[in-house]
Amino acid sequence: MNTKKSSAPKRALTFLSNSAVPLMFIIIIAICIPISGFSPTFLLNEVMTRLSRNAFLILSLLIPIMAGMGLNFGMTLGAMAAEIALIFVTDWQIWGIPGIVLAMILSIPLSVILGILCGKILNAAQGREMITSYIISFFMNGVYQLIVLYMMGSLIPILHGNIELPRGYGVRSSVDLTNIRKTLDNLLAINIAGVRIPVATLLIIALMCLIIVWFRRTKLGQDMRAVGQDMEVARDAGINVERTRLISIVISTVLAGIGMVIYLQNMGDMATYSSHSQIGMFCIAALLVGGASVDRASIGNVFLGVILFHTLFILAPSAGAKITGNEVVGEYFRVFVSYGVITVALVMYETRKRRAKARAAQQLRQEQEVEK
Amino acid sequence: MKTRRILFCACAILVLIAIACAMLVIGRGHTMYFDNKDLEYDGQTYAASHRINVYVNDERVARLSEGDRGLATFTGQSFSFDLVVTRVDDGEEENFSYTLKVPYAEDGIIVNLPGLIEDLPEDAWMSEFVPVPSVEEEEDEEIVIDEFDMAMEDDMGA
Repeated sequence: MNTKKSSAPKRALTFLSNSAVPLMFIIIIAICIPISGFSPTFLLNEVMTRLSRNAFLILSLLIPIMAGMGLNFGMTLGAMAAEIALIFVTDWQIWGIPGIVLAMILSIPLSVILGILCGKILNAAQGREMITSYIISFFMNGVYQLIVLYMMGSLIPILHGNIELPRGYGVRSSVDLTNIRKTLDNLLAINIAGVRIPVATLLIIALMCLIIVWFRRTKLGQDMRAVGQDMEVARDAGINVERTRLISIVISTVLAGIGMVIYLQNMGDMATYSSHSQIGMFCIAALLVGGASVDRASIGNVFLGVILFHTLFILAPSAGAKITGNEVVGEYFRVFVSYGVITVALVMYETRKRRAKARAAQQLRQEQEVEK
Repeated sequence: MKTRRILFCACAILVLIAIACAMLVIGRGHTMYFDNKDLEYDGQTYAASHRINVYVNDERVARLSEGDRGLATFTGQSFSFDLVVTRVDDGEEENFSYTLKVPYAEDGIIVNLPGLIEDLPEDAWMSEFVPVPSVEEEEDEEIVIDEFDMAMEDDMGA
């Protein structure tokens, strides 16, 4: 009886500690909803749009976490591959669903190459994967700009003037994706109580979830989990740790590429030089808001994260404007929340890791004292 | 085991290439411009009709008076449409159905409907639409390439 009494508050404390970020968001959202004055239909429509737009991208982060590589800031590389693919598809005038499928296929080889490069570097920087992948994404952004700004139109043929800069080479700062805009979202779309449900997009996301669940049970998936738990033990068990880690990054980059095509077809317009730059940050922030951590994330975290993070994104400008009289405050708040959540999650992860280390050391000391 | 894996990878790549090729063909978008304008061919003039309605999948996409131009967009290499033609004011309506093969490389195709209705050779009524860039488009644009808003002014010649 006594044990039960003491374990219940402990369990509640652990739950609160693990769910601090989602709970905080739920409270902020609960306060912001009445202040914003948005109707439930509007809010649900917006959340549904953002869920279908972002969920696939965030799912791409799960596999590297499973392999113990933390939050893959290198997903930006997949986003760049998708953007290059979309530039070609737009230039070749491939419209509608075929255009989306072609862009996804074209992004795959580019994502694989970039993923292998990223994975090899991350293997060389074991224990510092997140900061390394962050810096790789900056480096690759430079390479992307070199290709798009100088090589396209000069070395790589660009056929249409509405994509090419008037100087004769380089791609314009904005590429119009009208011909593929929302074609996937509108496929099989239905309306329920005024809320538009993009069925085809949600089916693709559901299929991806099933693939991830299946993948966890495969030999490779089990190897990744083993590597994620303890690299040395996995190596002793005969698992090729470096190869397994590299594959996880390649899969993540490829999925990020496909996710970016889904994202941009929803937007209908591509900011050539900046669409990819913040995508990693927002996806990671959304995943963390869903209750994930650097070493543990689930499909449930993805959906909870997208809903909470983007609901706040929708509410913040309006609520900010009503509270302070200035909409810009709400915009700043959104950015502040994104970076803040990542910082808090990283600090919490590091604190937990140190505590666990200290606890293990203390336990070892006690065992040694008992032996004496 | 290794051979099986290589075979599987090769098959997967081939399937992806096949799908990509199919998408390139079925997804190629074109714009067809319908002209209801007088046509000069072989020294003869084919006059524009009083009114032409263009239907695609039973949906009217253009209603053309004399001298008008309408358009329709489509994907693939052939395009089917129906015409309801009234040659003169208060005249009878005539119905025509056409399926045209479209050159893959051409984004825009101009079809002169009076020439098409008169069954003239293809080169008489079909031509490529070549857009002329406007003066505004000729001016170079400023590219902002990072979050520090550093525009590449020198490179862009702005």
